[in-house]
Amino acid sequence: MADGAERIELSVPLDDAFGGVIRLVAGGIAEQASFGFEAMDDLQLALERLLAETGEQERVEIAFEIGDDGVRALIGPVAEGRLSTVLGEPDGGTGTLGLRRVLSAVVDSFGVEPAGDGQIVVRLEKLGTARL
Amino acid sequence: MTGGERDGRSGRQREDRELLRRYREDGDTDARDRLIASHLPLVRSLARRYAGRGEPLEDIEQVGAIGLIKAIDRFDLSRDVSLATYVTPNVVGEIKRHFRDKGWSIRVPRSLQELSARMSATIDELTARLGRSPSVAEIAEALGTSKEEVLEAMEVGSAYTALSLDAGPGGDEDGTDPLETIGDEDAGFDRSEDRATLEPALGRLPDREREILRMRFEEGLPQTQIAERVGLSQMHVSRLIRRSLATMREELE
Repeated sequence: MADGAERIELSVPLDDAFGGVIRLVAGGIAEQASFGFEAMDDLQLALERLLAETGEQERVEIAFEIGDDGVRALIGPVAEGRLSTVLGEPDGGTGTLGLRRVLSAVVDSFGVEPAGDGQIVVRLEKLGTARL
Repeated sequence: MTGGERDGRSGRQREDRELLRRYREDGDTDARDRLIASHLPLVRSLARRYAGRGEPLEDIEQVGAIGLIKAIDRFDLSRDVSLATYVTPNVVGEIKRHFRDKGWSIRVPRSLQELSARMSATIDELTARLGRSPSVAEIAEALGTSKEEVLEAMEVGSAYTALSLDAGPGGDEDGTDPLETIGDEDAGFDRSEDRATLEPALGRLPDREREILRMRFEEGLPQTQIAERVGLSQMHVSRLIRRSLATMREELE
């Protein structure tokens, strides 16, 4: 994401009841980035599936950066254990349609950055220039 | 004075009972079809009461028609009530059951429900016209509303579970089973190497949802193309994908 990107930070309870809030915020962010409906839906789905795998913690921090070329979302810090495992597995290796495979389809790139104390920050990037 | 007038029944009621008798006693399905056709205006009238609740009127009418058919099949000829009297609560009951089963929250403001219902077709129309997925701003402009309301209506639509994963053939927007348009059963997720890893959660999904997931996550098709292939709206495809993935995740817990 280019320097000078606008940054929006969200701290939200990791509870199904707030899933709609996260989707709404992500939708607003995507709209600011001039995403089309489908790219917006992809970003929302990526966040939804990622947060479903983040384990037992009560809250999660999500930072959105809106750049000229799209949106970057930084999720965490979250516990490294389960999420690193799921993201590191081969596609389909979880006994179901795995998170890695889903993210590969709906965002342009994703990765994990260490955040210390056994925690990580997950990075999702969705480009919006094609307005898909 | 005719017999009909003596028993207090109108000509319509007598005709209905005669058709019912022919259907029941002689197996005359033409008589049943005539009964259905003659009561469809009543179904449409009842269905209109439930319009604007996030479900296309045509779908409500179809649900009501199911109630009508059930009523015709169940009607007891020994009862001294008109078929129309018997049909009305059956149709209304079927429609109410439909809304209840599909989980449309009554707390959702009617205006948002209506906006949500209109939005799906608008997105598809704009996609076709623009040749790409429309932005929220473009959807809002087309619907004559604000971007914020569009986002809210999208979220409302997501909460609306009319897109049941259990919806069977004929339960969709155009009344046909989308899988019928796809052709032979696909390989994809059914291939042996995938079967071992993706079963059992994926395998328990209905065929349609599995096929949509295969197209999205294996073929890498965008929603627009999947929607075209299966004959659903983009929003419908989006929600089916979300629900399918959530269901599979829940099964692992």
